[in-house]
Amino acid sequence: MVNPMSIEELPHTADVRRRIRAESREELFSLAAKAMFAVLYPGKCDVWSEKTMTIDADDPEDLLWEFLSDLLYISEVESFVVCETVIRFTGSGLIATLRGEPFQREKHEGGREIKGVSLSGLSIQTTGDMMSCDIIFDI
Amino acid sequence: MQKLFSSVGRHEWDLPLGYIPDMRVSGRLFLSDSLFESLEEGAVRQLANVATLPGIIGHSFGMPDIHWGYGFPIGGVAAFSEEEGIISPGGVGFDINCGVRMITTPLSVSDLGSREDIIGRLYQQVPTGVGSKSAFRLSASALDDLLALGSKWAVSEGYGLPEDCIRCEEGGYMKEAAPENVSEKARKRGIPQCGTLGSGNHFLELQVVSEIRDHEAAKTFGVKEGNVCCMIHCGSRGLGHQVCTDHLKTLEKATKKYGITLPDRQLSCAPLTSPEGESYFGAMAAAANYAWANRQIITHQVRTLFESAFGISPSEMPLVYDVAHNVAKWEMHTIDGSDKRVCVHRKGATRAFGPGRPELPEIYQRTGQPVIIPGSMGTASYLLAGTETAMEKTFGSTCHGAGRVSSRKEAKKAVRGAAVSADLKKQGIIVRAPSGDAIAEEAPEMYKSSDEVIRVVHEAGLSRIVARMMPLGVIKG
Repeated sequence: MVNPMSIEELPHTADVRRRIRAESREELFSLAAKAMFAVLYPGKCDVWSEKTMTIDADDPEDLLWEFLSDLLYISEVESFVVCETVIRFTGSGLIATLRGEPFQREKHEGGREIKGVSLSGLSIQTTGDMMSCDIIFDI
Repeated sequence: MQKLFSSVGRHEWDLPLGYIPDMRVSGRLFLSDSLFESLEEGAVRQLANVATLPGIIGHSFGMPDIHWGYGFPIGGVAAFSEEEGIISPGGVGFDINCGVRMITTPLSVSDLGSREDIIGRLYQQVPTGVGSKSAFRLSASALDDLLALGSKWAVSEGYGLPEDCIRCEEGGYMKEAAPENVSEKARKRGIPQCGTLGSGNHFLELQVVSEIRDHEAAKTFGVKEGNVCCMIHCGSRGLGHQVCTDHLKTLEKATKKYGITLPDRQLSCAPLTSPEGESYFGAMAAAANYAWANRQIITHQVRTLFESAFGISPSEMPLVYDVAHNVAKWEMHTIDGSDKRVCVHRKGATRAFGPGRPELPEIYQRTGQPVIIPGSMGTASYLLAGTETAMEKTFGSTCHGAGRVSSRKEAKKAVRGAAVSADLKKQGIIVRAPSGDAIAEEAPEMYKSSDEVIRVVHEAGLSRIVARMMPLGVIKG
């Protein structure tokens, strides 16, 4: 039986592809972020500080894509490793609370750099009470 | 998969119109029977998707290292007309001007002494992996100059030899660069990363020239059997990634604005002559220049280390050439007997211009351009020369590497990084990387045979083998 909330590793020859399943849009976005950071920093993550980000977009897929793309940017420029995210939707946008810690080479190295989040095949599906989406991360 | 295609020449196959709706041209693949066995349906679909784009000329091409990517397949090439064509970040990728260069040395393998020692020192010298920052300090104003002038800027700052620039595609910088189209976000990502390798399939490898196949061209390229050389494979780092992300957003809107229907959102595009298309082109060119400067600074780091370790001067370590793998460029090509200016997208493909092309420096006018094709970790790399046939058949393009056959997930299931390292060490190849997974994912068996890919491009005439190199040691990101 498939776990209602899950991150599944799908095959992709060149890049990293994940299927995210969740029971709500908030969980779907949080899990997508978790999947991305598991590729970047596979080791331990401890919550030491918090940041907030705000995103607006034209449709749900764009919102997810912009959310993940901006997370990548924040993580790289502010050397911030995100352990967890809490999402609140606001009309066409969202406010995300990012909890994590500063990047430390000894603790966090060894992951794979993500160059970008692809729009290829990115669509959010709703089936009954479940939501899912497939995401390709270019590494 | 092979039954979908019809044979049109040696290792040359046609994917007919109608494979998917709205194809404007056919697909054209260069594969041997054995390479067909690893051809994925996803890659064929992407080859066909590219064929639907407005203004495409000739065919949607797939090189022998073709594999499933996003937008264009990796190993995809397409040319677009100036009047009706488009430009798409999906035909370039996030890592704009990811590319490779090769430096020769007068050293023999025995001159290197302990391979572990020199690879360890290179690993210390060149920052690699996630979160790595450069020791090289770049000011915000210097970044503008770098974005405009690429390698030329780096050399003017003392990070190289004047002749390095002419031994790069485009002379080390695209003149169409528009630094003003590069966002503040991209700049912030780019400033601390210039002179870093990154991760994934990026690497710095010491090799030995094991075999010369074309002695005259090898002499021109400055390559001698038994000599140690160095290959550097990396790109435009976070700056290029952000340029792609920024412009995907504007080009998605442009796709709708210009009424273009797409089979894949990553192929978002705009007419070449539109403000959105021109804006992306200028930013992409600036990011391409960042990549050339990045490889130039790493070259300087390698030369500096070799100078102190082995007492050889930078001028004894000339650059053979520097080629781009992910880029869109304006080029002149002969189409139906007349010369036309077209925008050629190469995504995971290498320019392979033949003899006599005005873009090539004087020294390579008779041979054609050097084409540098890295193998997978632990396997042979090749130096080839561009050909007339490539000009006629593929807009002067060839393969860019061995091409993956297995996903990273399968790689980690199949092999352990430590075991791969130990196996390679038994063969005398030293590997340094931030993690075992980084090694496992790039294990030789996860790639097609570079020998087979090179055999196909050579026999199909897309480039001509000059020399073969074997790895001695590699640092991975």
